[in-house]
Amino acid sequence: MTIKKEQYAAFEDIVGPENISADPVILYSYAWRSGLLAGATKFTPRFEAIVLPASTLEVQAIVRLCNKFKLQFKASSTGWGIFNDTSGPGVIRLDLRRMNRILEINEKNMYAVVEPYVIGAQLQAELMKRGLNCNMCGAGSNCSALPIAAHQGIGHLSQSGSYGERNQLALEWVTPDGEIVRLGSLGSSDEWFCGDGPGPSLRGIVRGNVVPLGGLGVFTRAAAKIYHWPGPARFPIEGVSPRYAPSHIPENFSIGFYSFSSMDSLDEAQRLIGESEIALELMGFNAAMASANIATSNEEDVKLFREFSQYVQGPCIMIIMAGNSARDFEYKTKVLAQIIDRTGGKAIPRLLDDPKVAGGCLWRWLRSCASIREVFRVSGCFGGEVGQTDSFRLMADYIFKTGQVKGDLIKRGIVYNDGFSPFTQSFEHGHYGHGELLIRYMPNPGTFRVLAQEFLVQANETAIRDHFGVPGHVFGDASHDMYGPHCSNYHLWLRRIKKAFDPNGASEASHYITNKE
Amino acid sequence: MGLADYQQDMETCCRCSACKFIPLENVRGLNNVNVCPSIARYNFHAYSGGGRLGIGVALLEKELDYSDKLLEVVYNCQMCGACDISCKYAMDMEVFEPISEIRISCVENGLTVPVFEKMMAGFRRNGRLVQPGRIQEKSWFQGFQVKDYTRQKVDVIFHAGCRISGDESLWKVAQANLALLQKVGIDIGIAGAEERCCGGRAYYLGYKTDFLKQAEHNMKQFARSGARTLVTGCAECYQAFKVLYDRFGFKGNLEVLHTTEFFARLVREGKLAPSKKINLKVTYHDPCYLGRIGEPWIHWKGKQIPGQIRLFDPPREFRRGSYGVYVPPRELLLSIPGLTLTEMDRTREYAWCCGAGGGVKEYNPQFAVWTARERLKEAETTGAEALVTACPGCEKSFHDALQGQKTALQIYDVAELIAKASL
Repeated sequence: MTIKKEQYAAFEDIVGPENISADPVILYSYAWRSGLLAGATKFTPRFEAIVLPASTLEVQAIVRLCNKFKLQFKASSTGWGIFNDTSGPGVIRLDLRRMNRILEINEKNMYAVVEPYVIGAQLQAELMKRGLNCNMCGAGSNCSALPIAAHQGIGHLSQSGSYGERNQLALEWVTPDGEIVRLGSLGSSDEWFCGDGPGPSLRGIVRGNVVPLGGLGVFTRAAAKIYHWPGPARFPIEGVSPRYAPSHIPENFSIGFYSFSSMDSLDEAQRLIGESEIALELMGFNAAMASANIATSNEEDVKLFREFSQYVQGPCIMIIMAGNSARDFEYKTKVLAQIIDRTGGKAIPRLLDDPKVAGGCLWRWLRSCASIREVFRVSGCFGGEVGQTDSFRLMADYIFKTGQVKGDLIKRGIVYNDGFSPFTQSFEHGHYGHGELLIRYMPNPGTFRVLAQEFLVQANETAIRDHFGVPGHVFGDASHDMYGPHCSNYHLWLRRIKKAFDPNGASEASHYITNKE
Repeated sequence: MGLADYQQDMETCCRCSACKFIPLENVRGLNNVNVCPSIARYNFHAYSGGGRLGIGVALLEKELDYSDKLLEVVYNCQMCGACDISCKYAMDMEVFEPISEIRISCVENGLTVPVFEKMMAGFRRNGRLVQPGRIQEKSWFQGFQVKDYTRQKVDVIFHAGCRISGDESLWKVAQANLALLQKVGIDIGIAGAEERCCGGRAYYLGYKTDFLKQAEHNMKQFARSGARTLVTGCAECYQAFKVLYDRFGFKGNLEVLHTTEFFARLVREGKLAPSKKINLKVTYHDPCYLGRIGEPWIHWKGKQIPGQIRLFDPPREFRRGSYGVYVPPRELLLSIPGLTLTEMDRTREYAWCCGAGGGVKEYNPQFAVWTARERLKEAETTGAEALVTACPGCEKSFHDALQGQKTALQIYDVAELIAKASL
């Protein structure tokens, strides 16, 4: 299918000739596959055209035209993952690049309102000037500051900065059939302070279990809760890329890396750290993640991984603490020392001895700017699985259980041997948590097939058999239809939601759920 | 090397969009976060580093044909290399080189742009990118008593560059440089009207064969002069002589220095002392080809080791912009009494381009002006009275962009200020 001339002209009338293209040169650049779960094919199906709207009204007009012309659409911001792609012809891509404003930073009520193409680094940097901070999606600060449509919003700061569905406040949404809906307090006033009212609350619908992944209209403006930041307005970064590092760790800040002899010990440490609310960041991590974060090349990564592996006695955590005062910091430091002592944690000195190394880690983890190093540098591609958000220990058990399967893939030589220790993290100083297993491999159809047909099948069987809930990697009709019957037939309800809001099936939903019977 | 040699690099692109932004650790707010003028101006992903790599793979896989639209995308790029540096903060892959190879493959496949064909016809006739008549009638070097290295032995060659020779408004930069070199008693020589283009611009327009011929010719002429050092005030020429000539095996032992490196060395040694006060608040613009793209070439020949991680035998070091010329121009400016230096948001390896490079000035002058104006706005926010650079191409681009603008911002080359403070 190729877009018809009159259809193209109608879209062009909305955005202007500079902001639409159906030329193959443009389309192929969007069709290059993402590095997430890569390998099946080099190029994804081409979109019919790319349009660059600059406002909510333009988005609405485009969506309405798609409904009229029986075309589908998919919107994206920075385009990081496979969710931005289409699975077939007849789809218009809305690249939201031109919607890139921070509309409001409300310091008093602690929320920020952004358009989709404001990236995490921009919002965080603006907030830090005001003594504030935001959660950052784990994919990195190169991604949208508020990825309502394509990410759960889980990230390195989630221990103190929560995550997407909790941080989301009022929201402006162009529904799949082209209605502009303003949710939460925006539904009854011009205020963005609340996601649930006074006004309509559809938070559960617009986010669901694993967010609609681009399959339920376009989110054009959104507010997010923001947090206190006790650090400097601007970090004292020195040096030249790729070896940036601060000359010192700011006053009342610390970073620590600890390994534990067992998951039970780590679990206890995590719980105690949460109860005492001493962590700004608390991330499960492993030797592979630490080495990838610090190293500036694969050669160095391999050396550091070997070195760090020697220090690690078992599962690990990385903790960043920030004191609001010297006394507060002293208190937190003492509490952490007691927790580590009580749970048998072992510090990894190599990561702490040099302030440049520790300071570099501190900043990279605060801004999530080394996620690309951690997941993509090895081969440009990664897969694996994402546990859902549930109790920390449940998620840890799930991810460690399925992690054993990775060992088999390593033995077969089809994935990178970085050990099979997954990582888990808790949110909001609480028992809630999340786990991920990272599998890096050279993109190729063979490994992709094994991951899809063996690894993920086993991971899903484990989740269903042992009642671990619906993991975060579940998207698309087949997955939902597999999990639904085991989980209150949620797939039927999800499909009804899709049908109710998208009667024409205009919002391309290959990574959500379609309205098929 | 050809485009096919970079297929694995291009296929390592994970579509993270890092190539569109300055390295994330340096983001200081909402503004001045873009690093690539092309994607910032044209917005479609195709105009970004990552988008260009996808296009490169599509060409190799025969999914995409050479077309006029391809040329439009390919040449609306300053070849400033910023995407490469932002990518390599995290990744082990080439970005700039395959983008350059796409241009070469276009030319080799006969897909060329009229404005460049005309330029290259002149280049092949005269060895220069400017008309010889304009140089012979009246030239930047008139009035200087200086050796001609095409006929005499010299220690140091001073190469002015085509941009200066062909533009009277820029002669003052070469004149300042030469006057300073003479003041410190260097045994210097120029080629005057016989000076040939370095060939660098031809290479980055995709005319690799023409570049190689030019480099061979130039090096023969340099060798006859007996000079061991070549100094130039043009960042493009500097990059060509230092990086491209080395890469393709022409440079030999010739020491290549930018005038800022040369003068900073003299200042450190006490042989040049800017003593006259200049009360001016300035900000410095890092030329791409003196900074990130100007770092030395790293010779490597080997192969990727089979496996699930990109490792190479022998180990491969990637050029990441870490070793560009960033300090000497700043040292020189700070050596001037009365002058204060303030920095813009985007500096050094992640500096925003002046807009003139990669043939954009000739192919799409409006885009060049748009890019330069973005930089001028950034400079103005620092409160500086003057924007100082170290490349005549940048200086010209900024001057052109100032036309019709209400601003008091002045534009200088480092050499002009050093000469003013020293002569």
